[in-house]
Amino acid sequence: MNGLSFGALLFLLASGFTLVFGLMRIVNLAHGALYLTGGYVGIVTAAATASFTTALIAGAVAAATLGVVTERFLLRRVRGKELPEVLLTVGIAFVVADLNLAIFGGNPQSIQTPEVFSGALSIGSISYPRYRVFVIALALVVGAALYLVQRRTRVGAIMRAGVDDREMTGMMGINVDRVFAWMFLAGSALAGLAGVAAAGQLTMRPGADTDILLFALVVVIVGGLGSVEGAAVGSILIGLIDAFSRVWIPELSYFAVFAPMALVLMLRPQGLFGVRE
Amino acid sequence: MSRRLALVLTAIGLGVIYAAPYVLPPFVVSLLTLVFISGLLATSVNLLAGEAGLVSIGHAGIAAAAGYGIAWATVNGLGVGVRVLVALGLVLVVSFLFGLTTMYTRGIVYLMITLALGMVAYGLALRLSGLTGGQNGLTGIERPGFVDVWWQFYFFTAALFLLALLAVWVVRRSPFGLTLRAIRDSETRAASLGYSVAASKLMATMLSGLLAGTAGVLAVWNSEFISPAVSSFARSAMAVVMVILGGTGTLLGPLAGAGVVVGAEHWLSSYVERWPTLLGLAFIVVVIFMPRGLIGQIPARLLPRSDRPQEPIDNLSPTSEALSPTSEASGGRGPRAGGAG
Repeated sequence: MNGLSFGALLFLLASGFTLVFGLMRIVNLAHGALYLTGGYVGIVTAAATASFTTALIAGAVAAATLGVVTERFLLRRVRGKELPEVLLTVGIAFVVADLNLAIFGGNPQSIQTPEVFSGALSIGSISYPRYRVFVIALALVVGAALYLVQRRTRVGAIMRAGVDDREMTGMMGINVDRVFAWMFLAGSALAGLAGVAAAGQLTMRPGADTDILLFALVVVIVGGLGSVEGAAVGSILIGLIDAFSRVWIPELSYFAVFAPMALVLMLRPQGLFGVRE
Repeated sequence: MSRRLALVLTAIGLGVIYAAPYVLPPFVVSLLTLVFISGLLATSVNLLAGEAGLVSIGHAGIAAAAGYGIAWATVNGLGVGVRVLVALGLVLVVSFLFGLTTMYTRGIVYLMITLALGMVAYGLALRLSGLTGGQNGLTGIERPGFVDVWWQFYFFTAALFLLALLAVWVVRRSPFGLTLRAIRDSETRAASLGYSVAASKLMATMLSGLLAGTAGVLAVWNSEFISPAVSSFARSAMAVVMVILGGTGTLLGPLAGAGVVVGAEHWLSSYVERWPTLLGLAFIVVVIFMPRGLIGQIPARLLPRSDRPQEPIDNLSPTSEALSPTSEASGGRGPRAGGAG
């Protein structure tokens, strides 16, 4: 069950990552830094306003703002050039993570969770922390929303069209630039949201950004780049493997997460739900 | 550039390297040693990026494997020869794993996987505290007797770096080097001509791993200490910055890049506290304004034909090939206007 709630966190994070990749072909390595920013802003907001909902929103907004600024002023300059795009996000990751350290300090911090979510929920003989139930529910809601938007709305249709054939979508009179900007905003907001949610379960500290980025990378590599379904399956898989290996082989748990990735890469390089180029 | 001029310049370069410890203060020489070590790591990244078009952001992980091999063997009191063998064995195993997991991928996926592998290496260095000393690392790793004094170590490092350059030069001119370039330019075409793409990539990764491993060993001998930081994401990313800053695919670019980065780090970090921010900003500036690197700023006619920087690697996925038939015709000779996306 711990694995499930960690998997839920991973899904929140990886879905944003994979969305941005699917449409824009940008591997946003600043995703972890945005997550960390969201987490810190959430912690500060929760302490100031004593409202967890406000903290969630503030974290998402902060990350989204950062994301939009980088997209508008930096990434747009190298649009369509894959390597410069990735390297730019690496640079941004360094700057953002270091500024986080400067602003929020180096001590591990956690968010003040509201009354409702403290304590444990017991069903029969099993008891389970309420906060983790909340995280799982949040991931389910986000996942369902993403699915509905993608399948049922005009925006979703444009997104799917953009993933399949970017140039053709542009030819059809769709402002691809604007769609990209919104997509990046949505992806960044999800990273921020994941950060705030994670602040109640893990801690926010310098280095947490690269730690979680590794998990996000593994999840999307296993699930298949650009696929939200893949992100969902990958998150649950990696979350569970991580939880079990931590109990059984604590020293090698890092390796245990990496093993399925290696296996998938050798047998199915495009990932479980990926499409071969 | 004529052959004679090239020879003269090479001789001058070697002369400068040889004279440095006699005229410069020890502090500067030790900084130069560090430049050569970083340059070696960057060269190993450049071998893959320049020749095969595979950009790795995980090479610090390979270097760290060698470093930990040396450190562990030293701490456990093994002889110098055995230490080097342990490091070599670890490097071969780790770079084989890198190669095996990445040989069916290219472009952005390759980059992501090497990044993940580098992070796994960092995680292992941190968690396997029985072997690696965890967060504290391993200390008191003495250099072998023959490179004990600072100027000896400087010459040793410079010699190894030059040897590595020579190796890269040989590889570039070998049939294997040409195979790699064929794969870089069109994987489909190379495959249909009967080259084993995956095996060549594996081989290239292992060759590059050997260079990275050498850099890792030298780094440990230089600081006489190792900690998980040597395998960090920042370290790997720094090597990529050096390559791009210097000029991807050039022989001396990585050294130039290493010189600038190491120099800047040393000079600036005594004035400003936020070095990672500066590094990140440098990354951004280089990517946006100097995609062809320092060597790329030198007019192409002054450079030997073999050492002109490539055009920046823009499109990592081969889909763009089909759209631009002209790129096949120009054969990657001169620089052409980069980046029609």
